[in-house]
Amino acid sequence: MTLVQGGPNDHALPSRPNGTYYDLPQVKAAPFKSGAVGTYVFLAGLSGASALFSALLSRRRRRYGDSAIRRADALSMLAPTLGAGLLIYDLKTPQRFYNMLRIFRPSSPMSIGSWLLVGFGGAATAASAGEMLGRHMKLGWLRHLGACFRVPAALTGVGLATYTGSLFAATSTPRWAAAPKSLSVQFGASSVASAATALAFAEPRSDLRRSLDLVAGAALAVELAAAQSARRAYRAAGIQADGPMPIRDQLGTLLPLGLIAASAVCSPGPQRTLSRLACLAVLGGSLAMRIQTIEAGKSSAADPRVSLRLARRTHSAMRK
Amino acid sequence: MEVHQRARNYPESGFDAPIPDEAELTAQTRVRPGRSYGFFTDTTLCIGCKACEVACKEWNNLPADDLGLTGNSYDNTGALSAHTWRHVSFIEDNVRAEISRPFQSGWLMMSDVCKHCQTAPCVEACPTGALFHTEFRTVVVQQDICNGCGYCVPACPFGVVELSALDGKAHKCTLCYDRLKGGLEPACSKACPTDSIQFGEMEALEERALRRVRDLEARGIDDAYLYGVPGSPGAAGGIERLNAFFLLTAAPERFNLPVAPSRPSDRTMPSLAAGITAVAGLALAALFLFGRSDRT
Repeated sequence: MTLVQGGPNDHALPSRPNGTYYDLPQVKAAPFKSGAVGTYVFLAGLSGASALFSALLSRRRRRYGDSAIRRADALSMLAPTLGAGLLIYDLKTPQRFYNMLRIFRPSSPMSIGSWLLVGFGGAATAASAGEMLGRHMKLGWLRHLGACFRVPAALTGVGLATYTGSLFAATSTPRWAAAPKSLSVQFGASSVASAATALAFAEPRSDLRRSLDLVAGAALAVELAAAQSARRAYRAAGIQADGPMPIRDQLGTLLPLGLIAASAVCSPGPQRTLSRLACLAVLGGSLAMRIQTIEAGKSSAADPRVSLRLARRTHSAMRK
Repeated sequence: MEVHQRARNYPESGFDAPIPDEAELTAQTRVRPGRSYGFFTDTTLCIGCKACEVACKEWNNLPADDLGLTGNSYDNTGALSAHTWRHVSFIEDNVRAEISRPFQSGWLMMSDVCKHCQTAPCVEACPTGALFHTEFRTVVVQQDICNGCGYCVPACPFGVVELSALDGKAHKCTLCYDRLKGGLEPACSKACPTDSIQFGEMEALEERALRRVRDLEARGIDDAYLYGVPGSPGAAGGIERLNAFFLLTAAPERFNLPVAPSRPSDRTMPSLAAGITAVAGLALAALFLFGRSDRT
């Protein structure tokens, strides 16, 4: 059917929009509870990255011992327990939570994430339980069995720490859709930073603590760069910018980055104090960043000029 | 429009049972599974009577939303919602001019509805499979499956689907799925007194719509265009075609319709890949740093 090219339908579109419909919202805001979902996203990142660290550390078990692995295992249990609870709490018909596992839909990050959470929950529980029970009951084979689940837990953990970015990006909410790649890089890097500093917080060995802090520093730098590129995309899309760098970003990334840099040249005692302060800033900042991303997305949906301009930009880009 | 021959078999106004294939008498089409059905909403014929809104509420037993005066012309409905599946927009455009154009003059009225996208972002977003394409290629939420996760709500580029606070499920126009199964045309199009809303098979509807654009052009209305047919505004960015499409004479933005809606699921994989790459890079850095400590 030739409906367009050269047809009577081709020329008629007025070239410029003359206003919106009484400035009423053009898209609907997500009905997510910002606090509950933001906390889940934070916990998913913390747990996912912790499982990654416990797999990495189990490769250096001889050097660093078992204690750091056990702490990482404990952190990895937060998402499948508390996190899953928060997700179910956010459902408007929570008694049907199991319908999430009725199908697998690869186009939906919500479906990908549900399966990731289930897979991660199983693998991380098996790995932690094998480690813990094997140690207490002195059963070597149980520890080896648990160790088989380290890699699956780490891989699903990486997915769990990042899919939440694409969950928001794959919507029609202007602020989330404007920077799809930056958003998940920001989420993933923030997850790595929060898990690394949380492990450093309780780490008595100064060499491992310094290494973890360095990883956290690198992750914070990546997060900063991603946040910066996201802000550029927001400005280009005409989305209300929250200044060159909001105070939340400064406290959550720049401050801990400075603390970590300062701690690198300190002796172990003060190093530990600075590292712990950095950890608190990172954890707080990471949680706040997620909640603020959800809030800002919801409010960006209210302005029809933003969503309509975004659509028109895509359109003219396609015509070229 | 001619009366269908079979209509003579039903001279009374009351019936004991539905007329078989009633849509043939009211919309010149038989509803058969496997074919694609939709709405053609011609805004140049809309008189803003809101009979579609009322018929929809009546047939689907939908509760009233908060009613009040919005101050936005005669539009006191506001927007499509979980309980409002047809919404007539009103725009007063220089209505007091001494000379006014034919076909809506300064009054722009449009009965908005779920677009029943053929690549539907809500279906692609739904993690439970509650949202699906029916055998009539319409998009429906299965109420016995939806768990109210709400992900379809921000997915929709037209702001259509919404969760109901009354039952915690997502709701939107079903294109009268139950009526189609019974051979009837949807309630809104049947109630429309000017045939501004037409129901039919997609191919026939699109041809009819194109004829209407040419017809209007011949009568001097040169700014009429279709919104939502393949290749036109509204059907872009991976959304191939809207089974509820429109004939407009003003920019789509004036009705809060995006010129080029984008398909949210196109962003899933690039976003996921970027995030995983970043975390994998940091994991390699960590592996290196943990190894390096061995030597210090």
